[in-house]
Amino acid sequence: MYRYDEFDQHFVEERVAQFRDQTRRYLDGSLTHTEFLHLRLRNGLYIQRLAPMLRVAVPYGTLTSRQLRMLAHIARYYDKGYGHLSTRQNMQFNWPDLAEVPDILADLATVQMHAIQTSGNCIRNVTTDQFAGVAADETIDGRPYCELIRQWSTAHPEFDWLPRKFKIAVNGSASDRAAIDVHDVGIEARRAADGTVFDIKVGGGLGRTPVIGSLIREALPEVHLLTYLEAILRVYNRYGRRDNKYKARIKILVRALSPDVFREQVDAEWAHLKDGPSTLTREEIDRAVTAFTPPDYRQPEHGQSALAGNRLAEPEFSRWVRTNVAPHKRAGYTIVTLSTKVTGIPPGDVSDEQMDAVADWSDRFGFGEIRISHEQNFVLPDVSEGDLYTLWNATRSHGLATANLGKLTDIICCPGGDFCSLANAKSIPIAEAIQRRFEDIDYLHDLGDISLNISGCMNACGHHHVGHIGILGVDKKGEEWYQISLGGNGGRDSSLAEIIGPSFSRADVPDIIDEILGVYVALRQDGERFIDCYRRIGIDPFKERVYADPH
Amino acid sequence: MPILIDGERIVADDWTFIEDATDVSDANRIIVPAAVAAAQAPSIFGDDREIGVWLPGDAEPDEIVGLLNRIKLIAIRFPSFNDGRGLSLAVLLRSRYGFVGELRAIGEVHEDLLHYMRRCGFDSFQLPDGRDPAVALAALHSLSDFYQGSVIDPRPAFRRVARGSSKPTQAV
Repeated sequence: MYRYDEFDQHFVEERVAQFRDQTRRYLDGSLTHTEFLHLRLRNGLYIQRLAPMLRVAVPYGTLTSRQLRMLAHIARYYDKGYGHLSTRQNMQFNWPDLAEVPDILADLATVQMHAIQTSGNCIRNVTTDQFAGVAADETIDGRPYCELIRQWSTAHPEFDWLPRKFKIAVNGSASDRAAIDVHDVGIEARRAADGTVFDIKVGGGLGRTPVIGSLIREALPEVHLLTYLEAILRVYNRYGRRDNKYKARIKILVRALSPDVFREQVDAEWAHLKDGPSTLTREEIDRAVTAFTPPDYRQPEHGQSALAGNRLAEPEFSRWVRTNVAPHKRAGYTIVTLSTKVTGIPPGDVSDEQMDAVADWSDRFGFGEIRISHEQNFVLPDVSEGDLYTLWNATRSHGLATANLGKLTDIICCPGGDFCSLANAKSIPIAEAIQRRFEDIDYLHDLGDISLNISGCMNACGHHHVGHIGILGVDKKGEEWYQISLGGNGGRDSSLAEIIGPSFSRADVPDIIDEILGVYVALRQDGERFIDCYRRIGIDPFKERVYADPH
Repeated sequence: MPILIDGERIVADDWTFIEDATDVSDANRIIVPAAVAAAQAPSIFGDDREIGVWLPGDAEPDEIVGLLNRIKLIAIRFPSFNDGRGLSLAVLLRSRYGFVGELRAIGEVHEDLLHYMRRCGFDSFQLPDGRDPAVALAALHSLSDFYQGSVIDPRPAFRRVARGSSKPTQAV
């Protein structure tokens, strides 16, 4: 884990004081609503439909147990006893008191945390694989590079007032869990003969105009990472559209210029910056890489045989191991995902008591480290095989043992119309209705891996374009309707979903999902996954079934 | 008259700002539209005359690059609080084209933006009417150090300070 040095600590403390002063000036009337808006957004504070919402940065989704306990404290002391894991691997609080936000930020600073640039038209939290550093299929750990980018992008003199928000993701694994194809900048780290290099994609994204990013630079040597990003950001800051917020993302600029012309402009800019003072030094890269040195793994004894015995004795445990436990780099260790997707609880919502419990487990069954996935679940990255059964038993009484990872009910869902003032429709009740309908765990496992993503509006915080099944809330004459799309995929083999047809009323959505699944079950061959079946048969069989009867 | 903060001080503005007039034959210490200066060069730059130009944030530096050694002051106008184009333009004028005269931020110049502007090379700020210059000065110094290099010092923190040291605080 990266630990703050004096420089980092001093910076966040000054930033808290700065925001405290800005809040004071807003409350005493010397800053207008609009002026304060731009300042508070860059400190993670939204004003939502019902109350302020504070989005706390969890850099690249990584937390220590002490940090998670602080988040539990904040949920308990300043909020209503819960927080929300966001699709950007951050933690959101829905009910803070505006006047208390500087105190919350001060508490966060004591555990090396902040809420800087978690909203607003600036460079947002840089994300990576939630299994970074431990994934069996990893070649490069993305976290050191995320941390270097985090520092470079924090209060950047030139790039904090961009045309629109800007999201960067780094991946260094065979499977792309960071979804780099759908980011403003997606960075693929890989090993070359002379060290780590990056392939840079630009202009991907979801939102109103979903686009897969274009590759504009191959094999960028790691020392040039920041100067190359600076060149991209300068072209975007100067030429990105500012007249229409729906056309202001970098993807629109890249498309308008064409990826080739955009690349030429970036290269022309970079020619001035390359090898300049912002070039990373070997020493600075080593400092970042060393911060993520693997913990002191021991060779666990008899873990494997104990695990096999427990799996045989308890099928429910065995099923959980199959879905929620991923292979680890080190023999004898595993990566455990604790699903927050329990029927009746909004996806990603976690109580203070759950946070404390997860923090305790990370100490007891790991090295005090926790991850948040963009699928809105907790991850314990270093659990030995021999501890899995004890951990599973402990998680059951806390509602964190649902064996549905990657299954239909592991729904990605934005806060939607219940909280968000941008939403056209509610999303949480849709998630709940689907979870209720498909609660049968045997059926879920028979269906296999299916992602179902729900967004309450075009802004696509629920990533509906890259769900195998996507649901988008739309407003039709003041009523909430839901558009369904099929065939999206977020990972290595990314694709954007296709809309099936006219939208449906809220009450009909579970029936429609049922019919879609019925088509899949009837037509799948040799255990093929939903997405593979869809790619083979196309959208027509689904369309025919869904629109066969009047709804 | 609006109040300026020239680097660290609050001073009176002794420049005359010309929004769009083209007849500027007599006046001294005037800030004219960049297009006017370009059109009337070289005659506009008299022997004892000090000429400044103003540009919107989305202007191309090409417009005035040929005049930079004769221009005493460049004012870049920010159309709104959250439009950062003028920041990039300032960086280019300073770092790429080597402008060494006064670089002034005008328009929607908010006190909480001064620390960004200064790092991009601005050394004077024209605050809108009604803003308190004392608050602006305090805001300018609210953060004492930054990660990135800047126009003032192009070295990022990792080339300026010893990184990695930490006080003996609690383990996190």
